Amino acid sequence: MPQNLTLNVNGTGHAIAVEPNSMLLYALRNNLGLHGPKFGCGLAECGACTVLMDGKAIRSCVMPVSAVGRSEITTLEGLGTLDKPHPLQRAFIEEQAAQCGYCINGMIMTAKALLDHTPHPSREEIKRTLEGNLCRCGTHMRIVRAIERAAEQGG
Amino acid sequence: MSRYETYTGAAGLLSRREFLQASGGLIIAFRLFDPAKGAAATVAATQSVSPPPAGRLYAWLAVHPDNTATLFTGKVETGTGVLTALAQIAAEELDFPVDRLAVVMGTTSQTVDQGPSYGSMTVRYAGPQVRNAAAAGRQVMLDLGARHFKLPASGLEAKDGTIAVTGAPGRNITYGQLVDGKRLDFEIGASGEQFAMKVAPQARPKDPSTYKVVGKSVPRKDIPGKVTGQFTYVQDVRVDGMLHGRVVRPYGVGAKLLSVDETGLKDIPGFVQIVRRANFLGVVAQTEWAAIQAAQKLGSTLSSPGPDGGQAKWSRWEGLPLMDQIWDTVRSSAGRDTPVASHGSVDTALRSLAGGRTLKATYKTPFQMHGSIGPSCAIAEVKGDRATFWSGTQMPHETRRDMAKMLGIPLANIELRWIEASGGYGRNGLDHVVADAAVMSQAVGRPVRVQWMRWDEHGWEPKGPPIVQDLTGALDKHGRVVAWRHHMWVPTISDTHLIAAALIGKPDISGETGTGADPALTYAYTFDNADVVVHGKGRVALLTAWLRSPAQFETTFAMESFIDELAAAAGQDPLAFRLAYLKDPRAIAVLKAAAQEYGWVSRPARGKKPSPNGKPVQGRGIAWVNRDDSRVATIADVTVDPGSGRIKVGRVVVAHDCGLVVNPDGLRNQVEGNIIQSLSRTLHEEVAFDRSQVSSRDWQGYPILRFSEIPDRIDVVLVNNRPEYPPNGAGEPSTNPTAAVISSAVFDAIGVRLRQTPFRPDRVKAALG
Repeated sequence: MPQNLTLNVNGTGHAIAVEPNSMLLYALRNNLGLHGPKFGCGLAECGACTVLMDGKAIRSCVMPVSAVGRSEITTLEGLGTLDKPHPLQRAFIEEQAAQCGYCINGMIMTAKALLDHTPHPSREEIKRTLEGNLCRCGTHMRIVRAIERAAEQGG
Repeated sequence: MSRYETYTGAAGLLSRREFLQASGGLIIAFRLFDPAKGAAATVAATQSVSPPPAGRLYAWLAVHPDNTATLFTGKVETGTGVLTALAQIAAEELDFPVDRLAVVMGTTSQTVDQGPSYGSMTVRYAGPQVRNAAAAGRQVMLDLGARHFKLPASGLEAKDGTIAVTGAPGRNITYGQLVDGKRLDFEIGASGEQFAMKVAPQARPKDPSTYKVVGKSVPRKDIPGKVTGQFTYVQDVRVDGMLHGRVVRPYGVGAKLLSVDETGLKDIPGFVQIVRRANFLGVVAQTEWAAIQAAQKLGSTLSSPGPDGGQAKWSRWEGLPLMDQIWDTVRSSAGRDTPVASHGSVDTALRSLAGGRTLKATYKTPFQMHGSIGPSCAIAEVKGDRATFWSGTQMPHETRRDMAKMLGIPLANIELRWIEASGGYGRNGLDHVVADAAVMSQAVGRPVRVQWMRWDEHGWEPKGPPIVQDLTGALDKHGRVVAWRHHMWVPTISDTHLIAAALIGKPDISGETGTGADPALTYAYTFDNADVVVHGKGRVALLTAWLRSPAQFETTFAMESFIDELAAAAGQDPLAFRLAYLKDPRAIAVLKAAAQEYGWVSRPARGKKPSPNGKPVQGRGIAWVNRDDSRVATIADVTVDPGSGRIKVGRVVVAHDCGLVVNPDGLRNQVEGNIIQSLSRTLHEEVAFDRSQVSSRDWQGYPILRFSEIPDRIDVVLVNNRPEYPPNGAGEPSTNPTAAVISSAVFDAIGVRLRQTPFRPDRVKAALG
């Protein structure tokens, strides 16, 4: 049966009632109404659902809500806004690094975890970090450039 | 006096009351323009949900009191940037700031049916329609200004959404003030339908050489919302009272549903009911998680339990051909021949060949899939004889008509609200999922949101078909081509009966849109004896649909690789060899432009086999295409590792001629995307299947290109980007040359010719022997 629990998302505690074995992605999208993390495969294969959990990039489509506990979850919405985009988001806009844009959540969130850990990654490090993120439109060149630009600007 | 001018004098705007009467109560309520929102308008209090008449200006444009404006178009965004491109075209002609112009796409009650958004045809065909409508709108603004200032329109200027009196600083008024919140109820005239529609025939659009907005790299309107999580995809839409549905597809493409054991379903918190209708099976629940759990119990899982291993039992169906014999099916099912070129006599030339050489080759390409990252999703609300859909289909107006047929509901009572989806690259599952949602909503009497699981998408989206091609070429003793034969077996690419309709027993809902399989290729060589034929309309047992540059990606692979085979056999440089047989000046121009950018040095392909565990070897390849009147030439460097069989692409140079470019950076984005996606199709992609169904059910079973494999750089050269060349499409053309370029580059590097995609490492190693 659904259980009452509190999720710490983007700096705020949210009381929700969900099946404890259900996945974090559905709580973020359906209970909290967030659009950043996307359903892509439900199998941790594509990265569209990526969020940060205590600073680590994780696949929310396979993370049971019961395993989140008091961890801090950050989604794409938690980085910046239209008016005040995060440096990574600004770099993606400046490089026009999206086509359909469905995968971009995962690209930015994975890059966020990378830059927090390694502020000035090499191009090879960026590509290696994104190896598990799929993009079907073929925006890869711009995605890499956007992350390099964000790193240059101290993202 | 023209029909248009009749309405531009004293016959002005309707009053608000008249407007409400005239519009039958249809009130279009605009939110303030927000660049993050996919749709800037919502329809309230609907009576009529039919599309607006194409001959009225309000069908295309609205100007709001805050001096923002909205363009309405039946075309839709699929990730290629056409929203921004069409906004630029409208802003240019309307003399309106492009950043204050919103675009409403596809919603059937608010837009004209301009045909589906496919085939690189949006800017080419819808562009002139929007252009003329906006030019007519500009004239209306000038006439309204003339009435306001009591001056002839010739003494006024339109600029940035304002009408100003020429030579009188300060005497100006905004479009928003002039229109004063009213609908632009002016006759502008329209004739014809969809792609062939002519809009506002009397309008006088601008001379392209004066363009200020078209031709600029205007930032895409959708990207800020997409990178901040503020954008609403169809997958994000939630409707009041909505339930969540999931499909449970048959085990076996043609299997029949025998029984459903509902044990345990009611124990799932939030489960509502199953929906069973003939061979259609779905589940509906209060929550998405409950729907997923219920579908899983009935057999919707990555590793399916088989036809009778789960709680839903299916008849055993094994009607698919063997995977490695699919090309025999392609040949044997071909139904109609379409000659593409017929010059001289190939047979006579082959018989009389003295001292020359004849080459023969067969090229094979597999089923490939669109592979959207976001699985297909739609919401349906079917109530009695009315229905509303929320969908990201590439053909909203046609899907609306299909739903009228499938549900038996009057067309006038159906509205499809279009919301952008994950990229599609052709007709994928986006209209099929509308039908799934419709069946489930009709059964439960509430709005139902259906999203396919990953295995539903991989397994059931319509595929690009396998193609087989036989080529024969003859060289005389001087190395000149004296005969060319290219026969293509191209199955139908629009065998798309709606899946849910077929499952409920209405197999005739296949839609009216069919881009035929021909011409699957544009032949432009000048060989004296040529015989080029498409054997079309075959059936290959899985649903097929157009996939980015349908069939031409495959036929260009064979044609341009085989030209290379002949050039190599003749010991000639592959660029010079092509140029010797081309007269099309734009083809010659893109080939030369690519060669110049690349720094092409004339030499024949090396084509030497390395030792089995030798060092990686480099090679180069070149190919070109004419796709829908756009010309593209591509050159690429590859490095082939003989030990692993791995192909790595270094530099790619693309010379692109689609005429006048509306948005140069948007075009480069498209070209880069085409190159990477077509590289993925060349190196990795092949749909696997057994005798029952598709067995590529996830990204492990259908790998696509990853970051470690992207080219080092992609250089794009724009050719004929000039006002005197009208804009052609760019959504597909640069997809086409890639497989031939890589095949020829691999031959240059290691001396083996790859004639079957994908060029997986095991195939490269097998070819090396």
